[in-house]
Amino acid sequence: MNFEIINPGTTKELLAAVKKFQKENFRFGAGCTDFLMELKKNPSEGLTVINLSQVKDAQFNGLKKSVKGLRMGAMLTAHKIVMNEEIKNKYPVLHNAAESLASTQIRQVATVGGNMCTASPSGDIACALASLQADCELLSTTGKIRNVNINSFFAGLRKTVLKKNEILYGISIPANIKSTKNIFSNFIKVGTRRSMECSVVSLAYHIQTDSNGIIIKAGAAIGASAPTIRFAATACDFLIGKKFKNITQKEKEEFAEKVLSYASPITDIRATAGYRKEVLFNISKSIFE
Amino acid sequence: MKKTKTKTEKLHEVSFTLNEKKVSCKIKASVLLLDLIRDVFELKGTKPGCGEGECGACTVLINGAPVNSCLFLAVNADGKNITTIEGLTKSDGSLHPVQESLVAHGAVQCGFCTSGMAMSIKGLMNQYENSHNVPGEIKNGIPSRDEIKKHLEGNLCRCTGYVKIIDAAEAMFKQEQ
Repeated sequence: MNFEIINPGTTKELLAAVKKFQKENFRFGAGCTDFLMELKKNPSEGLTVINLSQVKDAQFNGLKKSVKGLRMGAMLTAHKIVMNEEIKNKYPVLHNAAESLASTQIRQVATVGGNMCTASPSGDIACALASLQADCELLSTTGKIRNVNINSFFAGLRKTVLKKNEILYGISIPANIKSTKNIFSNFIKVGTRRSMECSVVSLAYHIQTDSNGIIIKAGAAIGASAPTIRFAATACDFLIGKKFKNITQKEKEEFAEKVLSYASPITDIRATAGYRKEVLFNISKSIFE
Repeated sequence: MKKTKTKTEKLHEVSFTLNEKKVSCKIKASVLLLDLIRDVFELKGTKPGCGEGECGACTVLINGAPVNSCLFLAVNADGKNITTIEGLTKSDGSLHPVQESLVAHGAVQCGFCTSGMAMSIKGLMNQYENSHNVPGEIKNGIPSRDEIKKHLEGNLCRCTGYVKIIDAAEAMFKQEQ
C-alpha cells in the first residue's frame, strides 16, 4: 500500500485540491474503512488521496435540523446518526440502518458520504436514504452546488453521477408530512450473522399515516438486489390512500410483487439470485404484520 | 499540500496526545495508526489481528471513542487524543476498573483479544458519560447486557465464549453506577 496524501483543512483548500488533481489518479478518503481494505488488496500506482478528515467545515461534518427536514454533511459519521435523537424518533429507518452497519469501531469513522459514494448495492445507510428520498448536494470546484435526487445519484455498480470536479457535500432528507400521526419505518437487513455483515438482501421503508391510519406518504428502497440501490416507486404509489392496518393478504402480495419488479439480483458467494428474490418478496409482505 | 512524483515519499508531521503525553513524528502517508503505535512508539499492548477491521484486537480510543487502529490512517491522528491499553492503567500502576473486572471474572484466557475488549468497554463507558453533555444525543441509563453485547460486536474472542467478558462489563457498569 503506497500513496501520497493531501490534507486540506478548509473547504476552499479541498476544492483547490480537487481542481488540481481532477485529471490525475486521485481518490477521496473519508472514513477510509472500505477504502483502506481496497488499497491493501489492490494497491494503485501513483495514487493521491485527498483526505477529507481534516476539513473543518460544519456544513461538511455536521447535522442541521430545519423546517424543511434534516441536512447531514457528507462527513457525518454513522455513530453520530445512531446517537441522534431526532433521527431515532422521526426517521427510524435511518437510525436502524446506521446501527446495523459493521461494528461500533467502524461506525465511529465510517461516514454517510462514504457509504453513498462507494455506491455499493448493499450500502445500508444509502438504502435508508433512498427510502427517505434524500437529496444530494454535489459541490463543484467552481463553488456551485448541483442538487441531485438520490434516485439519480447511483449510475451503476459502484458508480455515481459525480463528475471529476465534484464532491458530495451534503444530504438532505425531507421532513415528515405535518399531518402525519404515525410512522412505520424500519430497515430490514438479511444476512448470515447479526454483526459485521454485508446485506444479502435489505429493505428500507418509511411509511407515514394520518390520524385515520391512512397512508399519506410511502418510501421503500431495496438493497443488494440490483446493480444499485433502487427506490420502488410503483410499490410506494400503490400504498397511498390505503389504511395501513387493514391491508389485505392480496394487497400485501401485490405490494411485494411491485417491490420485486425492481430487483434483478445476481448469484454470488453470499446467496443465489432465487434466494434473494424469495427473501425480498417475504420481507416486503412482512412489513404490514 | 504537494504531490511528489519522485520515488522518495513525502513525510508528514503528526502531533498528538498518546496516553496523556504529547508526541510528534514524521511518517509516510500510508502508515496505519496500529503500526505507528507498535513500531514507532513501541507500545505492544495493541494487537494486530485480522488487519481488516473484523476482530477488534487493535482497538484504541481516539478522543475517547473506540476505533480499529488497523483501518485508521496515522496522519489523521494529528491533533487527536489517543489512548491505548497502556494508558488505561493508572499512573501508579494500578489497574483501571475495566481491567480489574476482567481479571475478577476470569474473562481472559489466551489474552490476545483482551486489550481490544478492554478499550471497547472503556469506549462504551465514555459514550454513556459523554452523551449527557451533547445536545440532541440519545441519553440512556447504564448499558444493559444487550447493549453491551451490541457494543462489543466488533471484538472477537476465540477462547472465552464471551460470557465472562460480558459479565465483567456488566458488573463494572453496575459498580460504577
